[in-house]
Amino acid sequence: MADAKSAGANSGPKTYTTDFIKADTDRAVFLGNALLDDMMTALIALGSETWAVRRRAKITEMLFEKNGKISREMVEQYMPTPEEERQLTTERDDFIRNIYGHFARNGEDVVALNSLDPKSKK
Amino acid sequence: MTMFNRRTLFASTVAAVGAATEALTARSAQAALPKDVEPRGSTGRLERLPRLDLESVHDFITGFRKFANGDMSRSANARMTAIIKAEGLDPDADLPIQKILELTGKDPVIANSARTWLSAQQINWRTLHNEFHANSDLYMAEMEAADKAGPGTLELNPDLKPPAYTTHEIHIQPGGYVGDPFAGHIYLYGTNNFYTGRNNQDELHIEYASAVPVPKTGKVTRVLEQGTSCGQLAVALKQRFPNAEVWGIDVGGPMVRFAHMRAADIGVEVHFAQRLAEDSKFPDNHFDIVTNNIMFHEVSQDGARAILKESMRVLRPGGVYFPMDFYTGGPPPKAAYGKFRSWWDSRWNGEPWRLDYAALDFAGAMRDAGFDVNENGPPARPGTKRNILGTKPA
Ligand SMILES: C[S@@+](CC[C@H](N)C(=O)[O-])C[C@H]1O[C@@H](n2cnc3c(N)ncnc32)[C@H](O)[C@@H]1O
Repeated sequence: MADAKSAGANSGPKTYTTDFIKADTDRAVFLGNALLDDMMTALIALGSETWAVRRRAKITEMLFEKNGKISREMVEQYMPTPEEERQLTTERDDFIRNIYGHFARNGEDVVALNSLDPKSKK
Repeated sequence: MTMFNRRTLFASTVAAVGAATEALTARSAQAALPKDVEPRGSTGRLERLPRLDLESVHDFITGFRKFANGDMSRSANARMTAIIKAEGLDPDADLPIQKILELTGKDPVIANSARTWLSAQQINWRTLHNEFHANSDLYMAEMEAADKAGPGTLELNPDLKPPAYTTHEIHIQPGGYVGDPFAGHIYLYGTNNFYTGRNNQDELHIEYASAVPVPKTGKVTRVLEQGTSCGQLAVALKQRFPNAEVWGIDVGGPMVRFAHMRAADIGVEVHFAQRLAEDSKFPDNHFDIVTNNIMFHEVSQDGARAILKESMRVLRPGGVYFPMDFYTGGPPPKAAYGKFRSWWDSRWNGEPWRLDYAALDFAGAMRDAGFDVNENGPPARPGTKRNILGTKPA
């Protein structure tokens, strides 16, 4: 894929780019069905967006507690203290485990759908 | 937008950076780019991502990677080990990757751990790529203004023909190192994420720079880093050897362009040039130290041999060659899960040369190039006890 604005082109800024070889990873299907793979990507993207909303809310609360009156710009620019950063990171990691922890089940202990013994117990 | 005062900001964040690295990670007081675009200021030497929501998405992806590399990976490892044992095979027996894939490639726990890692990586790159391209005029103007700023210098070579092996979308970064004008920006934030926050202040690069051995005579007047990317190691090398002339070269124009802008912004004098490691244009016997970090696993075997030959040429007699990469401090993995992860990284994370690198007798290739080789040089990478070290015979 040539860059329309690559170095030497007459119009636009020089980008110092050249042609490259595209990876085929976008076509990867690991879960047996492309839809399932796409759903997993969507689920993680959704998690990231949800966390962004929650983090914004947390930061807004932090600012409220300190200032009483705040602006959107203050929220956007806010620099959490190291202690607040630690709190946010702990909360983020809990958030991730709560949602995605299901995917980290004990790998030695998977029972297949067609396992035959109805009396099987843990 | 209001700009944060960098020094006030910096004062509030040094505690997080830690006193030991404080001096190294600070920006010099004189440093100032002609057009510095950092709408949310900076933390130490890291310019914060330009929007709170983007920063939060990346914070999430960082956390998700930790989870994927931790809990999910352990689960996949246990699953793989159980499946292989159930077949009566030894998972530590250096099984061929084809056999490992045949037995475990369709297992849902393993497949999902690979899927989620890949999805997170795709989101990582996509969100960064979109951000810099959505504001391309701003970021392009910032780079153009910085091209001629100092300290340090920048040399771009638009006519350079990159060898094909360097033009892949390595670790599936959109456009790779050569094809996207913001490859440097995207790489820096994408790899910060990859290092799960442990390198936001170049902490790892500072450690690597401190691991590089000095030639026996003690004379260090010129140092070269090959494959410098964003110049983080080159900057750390200049800080370790303040009296030396330090060069960082890379095949990617956008990479050295960003590296120069960043070094100038931090206030460290490094010379960056868009040149090939195998055709570096430096005079014979020029450098006291030539080094590189995580470059060789992204280089073909022929490329590696050519780079070693060129390194030998530009080093002065008695000069030190110190490559740091996955297997310069220990052998490639033999256990099934480790082999699977390397294969997977190569196949699905856009690391097409990684297995060729693992298969290369690197010490042998260094000897072929003429180096005296010490396979038990001082350790560099975390978790290693040694690193390969070459010396040019006097
Ligand atoms: C993983 S990055 C290196 C990261 C960097 N050294 C660090 O410590 O963070 C590999 C870099 O090597 C560069 N590279 C690969 N082959 C090269 C070659 N033959 N000549 C110059 N640069 C090369 C790539 O463009 C890329 O920027």
